Amino acid sequence: MPWLIAAVLLAIMPQIFSNNSALTIMNQMSITIVFALAYNMLLGQGGMLSFGHAVYGGVGGFACMHIMNNSGFFESIPLVILPLFGGLFGMGLALIIGSFSTRSAGTTFAMISLGVGELIAASSLIFVAFFGGEGGISGDRTDALPFFGIEFLQQEQVYYLTAAWVLISAGLMYLWSRTPVGRMANAVRDNPERAEFLGYSARWVRYYSFVASGFFAGVSGGLFAINYEILTEENLNAVSSGIILLVTFLGGVGFFFGPILGAIAFTLLQTVLSLSTELWAFYAGMLFVATVMFFPGGLAGLIMMHLPALRLGKLRLLFIPYLKTLLPAAIGIFGLAALIEMTFHVRHGATGDNEMTLFWTTFDSYSIVPWLVAGAITLVGFGIARVTAPALKDAWNEANTAQRAKS
Amino acid sequence: MSTPALELSGLKKSFGKAEIIRGIDLSIGKGERHAIIGPNGAGKSTLFNLITARFAPTAGTVKLHGENVIGLEPFQINRKGLSRSFQITNIFANMTVFENVRCALLWSQGYKYSFWNLVNSSRDLTEGADAILDQINLLERRNLPAGTLSYAEQRALEIGITIAGGADVIMLDEPTAGMSNSETTYITDLILKVTEGKTLIMVEHDMGVVFGLADRISVLVYGEIIATGAPADVRADPRVQEAYLGAALEADH
Repeated sequence: MPWLIAAVLLAIMPQIFSNNSALTIMNQMSITIVFALAYNMLLGQGGMLSFGHAVYGGVGGFACMHIMNNSGFFESIPLVILPLFGGLFGMGLALIIGSFSTRSAGTTFAMISLGVGELIAASSLIFVAFFGGEGGISGDRTDALPFFGIEFLQQEQVYYLTAAWVLISAGLMYLWSRTPVGRMANAVRDNPERAEFLGYSARWVRYYSFVASGFFAGVSGGLFAINYEILTEENLNAVSSGIILLVTFLGGVGFFFGPILGAIAFTLLQTVLSLSTELWAFYAGMLFVATVMFFPGGLAGLIMMHLPALRLGKLRLLFIPYLKTLLPAAIGIFGLAALIEMTFHVRHGATGDNEMTLFWTTFDSYSIVPWLVAGAITLVGFGIARVTAPALKDAWNEANTAQRAKS
Repeated sequence: MSTPALELSGLKKSFGKAEIIRGIDLSIGKGERHAIIGPNGAGKSTLFNLITARFAPTAGTVKLHGENVIGLEPFQINRKGLSRSFQITNIFANMTVFENVRCALLWSQGYKYSFWNLVNSSRDLTEGADAILDQINLLERRNLPAGTLSYAEQRALEIGITIAGGADVIMLDEPTAGMSNSETTYITDLILKVTEGKTLIMVEHDMGVVFGLADRISVLVYGEIIATGAPADVRADPRVQEAYLGAALEADH
């Protein structure tokens, strides 16, 4: 059922947001969703923390670019199956790397993934023939065999191609988690030793997860290649690997749909916020730290936390207390953001450029008044939130208690 | 005489200079219920870990159904029909009770590393797991995360996981450790029920459990077996009384 909704949603989205930049954002989201789900096959389901997973997506993407540039072969296949090749190349790399990196989980695995990631990112500047050096590799997706007359010249056509692959990949990854090897991946994550005494080699279970994850990472690389028609060292490096970890964690590693939420939220944050502030990465970092510290379950965990209250039919009890606490807190956050932006403006603005515009107001960042206003908003916002927080806590307890004892 | 289910010969284990297991010869027949007792630090758990390949022995052999299993990995030994529980409860705490048992069934039902079967669509798996849950009386707890069970229930679940794979040699490491009297009786009955017709090897401190369950007892003291035999004989053995039982019996009174 959720799959049907997702499919319908994917199908009608371009009718609602039809301009090209929205389509680009949605494609970006889709690619991130596939990659984050693939990453979570390792992190959430297999208990393997990878610091270099971008290379599997990247190598898949580079392979697709080379196929695009090999006109003889590329003209004989429809573009829609290109991500499959990306997947196969990602999987091929995972087959090799996984054969030694999955021997143990934990720190050893993390360190090997980091090392291999750096190694391959570094070799992108050495093996120029494959990775294209600093300029990367570019190509033209429209050279492919037309698919029922579609040449994928338009962004909307690319959107539907990407959306179909997201749906297929997510579906397959979900089914994977329901298979014996997928279930044992959870078992090995929780307790590798016990799994060994049930007849399963923890190493082989990890290896299978790793290879499958490499495949879907490669698919996301292939989708990237189709969308952007260029791949560079950026697709392989540690920054990309770090971002996917962030996205997955933000969404929540404990639930299958967590990375999907993470990918949507992060892409929105990245695209929308980066339009309005240069400091978007700073806010994203703060959000990540806050997630790790206060909501280790991520967005998905936050949503699922409300399930017991919903089952008890008491969810509406939380509405007013939430409003009372979260609204002032949000105002406080805006105040704080204003202070940060003003500091940034004062420190980095051009000399003589004293005017800045923030939240639709223009003012002189060197005068004292805006600072006082922003400071006051921050203090009042957080102050109210602090005062109303205990009431929220009570409401929370009340909403999660089945039967209130009468006194 | 048929091949013993488990045969140890000249088994030794040293950690550095400390010799923990100092040459053990022991033969346990098919269908026998064998208890290993001994004071703390005698090496009982180490002996278990040697048999199940958690540790590699320094010397000696372990034969399971007449086949040497030294050098095999734990999962390979498990596939040959030996299953064990742990002294410290060792379950998949985040998974449901049902899933714990189902995972234990996967290999024995031949699923191996399959990624073309869906576990939910297999009736054999669901019914098999429910049958085990019924045996260990945890059907009502079926859908709870295993970590939320009471201690005794977790121990029962661990026994369930251990027997689920259909192994014919079952090794239990202190199944009743840390339990109240009623819980101990409950687990003892459970062990009797689920190991019917199987070879059982257990480490146990509770003498009531040992004398109630075991066909034969081995007494392990400082890495050596000082006596093996029927419960009554072992109890009468003066060396055993001196080394272990005396102290334990005194403590009981």
